[in-house]
Amino acid sequence: MTGDFLEVNNLSKRFGGLHAIRDVSFSVNRQEVVGLIGPNGAGKTTLVRLILGIIKANSGQVIFKGQNLTGKKTWTIVGQGIAGTFQNARPFAHLPIIANVMVPCLGPRASRRGEWVKTVEARAMDALEFVGIADLAKEPASRLSQGDLKRLEVARAIACEPELLILDEPFGGLNPTETSLMAKSIRRLHKGGRFGRLHSEGPAMIIIEHKLSELMKIVDRVIVLNFGETLTMGTPEEVVNDPKVIQAYIGKEVV
Amino acid sequence: MWGQILVNGMIAGGKYAMLALGFSLIFGVARIMNLTHTAYYMLSAYLIYYFNQTLSMPLALSYILSITMVIVIGMAVYKVMVAPVRERFTAVLIITLVLAMVVQEAVLIIFGGHYRTLPKLVSGTTQFSGMTLTYQHLFTLGAVIFVLGAIWLLLFKSRLGIAIRAMAMDREVANLMGMPESQIASITVAISVGLAAIAGAVVAPLFIVEPAMWMHPLVVVMAAVILGGLGSIKGSIIGAFILAFAEVGLVFLLPQLAFLRGAVSMAVMLAVLMIRPEGLFGIFMEGER
Repeated sequence: MTGDFLEVNNLSKRFGGLHAIRDVSFSVNRQEVVGLIGPNGAGKTTLVRLILGIIKANSGQVIFKGQNLTGKKTWTIVGQGIAGTFQNARPFAHLPIIANVMVPCLGPRASRRGEWVKTVEARAMDALEFVGIADLAKEPASRLSQGDLKRLEVARAIACEPELLILDEPFGGLNPTETSLMAKSIRRLHKGGRFGRLHSEGPAMIIIEHKLSELMKIVDRVIVLNFGETLTMGTPEEVVNDPKVIQAYIGKEVV
Repeated sequence: MWGQILVNGMIAGGKYAMLALGFSLIFGVARIMNLTHTAYYMLSAYLIYYFNQTLSMPLALSYILSITMVIVIGMAVYKVMVAPVRERFTAVLIITLVLAMVVQEAVLIIFGGHYRTLPKLVSGTTQFSGMTLTYQHLFTLGAVIFVLGAIWLLLFKSRLGIAIRAMAMDREVANLMGMPESQIASITVAISVGLAAIAGAVVAPLFIVEPAMWMHPLVVVMAAVILGGLGSIKGSIIGAFILAFAEVGLVFLLPQLAFLRGAVSMAVMLAVLMIRPEGLFGIFMEGER
């Protein structure tokens, strides 16, 4: 495997006696959208938290654009160009929605030297515009519906102007209409370009999702985790028809 | 008399508010229960005394030097002693308490246990609707309002303020948004210690300077922060003013019970903890998921 963009080598993580992630290796190319699936408790969220440096791996390496990010602080990793969302939307509940998006605009990566608050606000507004909740900008974040919270998470992640975006269940808790809207935003984001004052690099993506039928439409490749190990990886068609995957998901619908 | 209560309450409230704000900020952003906080307030008053009386420097210069020095000392102490154990709550409590006592003992050794007074920065009095106000009182009042206003603007209208408030609300998410936690924590420590130093500097000419002067404000500050709701900026300021007016009101309205002044805050703190632990504007524990 030679992916010079993101490389994960033999990553392992133990929580006490539980071997949550066991020798996981994979790579992501600059242009790819990768789905990360697996039954509950397979270690998907743990894996992305390891990549983002929120928890520390026991062994293994994460290499991004040729730089070793293992053991680095989260903000350093985000500064390098990786952004992520949490599975459960966690807004700054007491800040207005616009201020929620201004926070990532102020990070070392996305901030412009000498920029005034007003300009940062305009940039944050463009991120809200992109996900379609600009009309709610002045409301406190605690007033948002589940669907809008997910959109806020995405707005915050893209305001970091990442080259690699990690989304943890972006469709979780969304109804079918909201889901297809979100899928559309994700695809548009991946194409890249300018959204007002906001610049999108057209980030590569890793998407964790349980709504497989929606996920398969937007990903180029799927990695399947089970009991902390890579079960298989391949194109959506290969994975969906893989008997091992069907077995891991027994009792659950697969597309 | 009501006018006196108002002026004295505003000054005491402003002092407690500056202290409580700093205490609250440092707790929110760095999760440090900083028991050394009011020792910086005392240190600033003593340094002014030292520069002005012992080294006979001009008063204004002593103020500036003293505030700067306290900030430098506070930052150094944070970097060297507190930051390394920041994640261990008990260790932080013990270290900051010990540091406060070290400051007290140092002051006692260097300056002795005498009660000291600082010369007024501005002298003279004025009559205002029947009460006599010293210019020092008015100056202190103005300084307190100016500093609180400036901090308010900084927190609510500036880029740094948004970063600080976001960090205080949810550290992990702020990190994920690329906020450099340790850097913002250091800046917050500087602001917080600076507020304590300014509080010490502007009110010192009105109060007696002595080596135990950090204890009572510390209790009041903790009570104010608990009353206002741990982690709430607005709450800690309002809490500080409520307690200050309660104290001043007690002294003026029931002078025979004035010796209970120190107990007001403790009583309020206990009552709040029993009846409404989250305080007036409580967002207690919210950032702790």
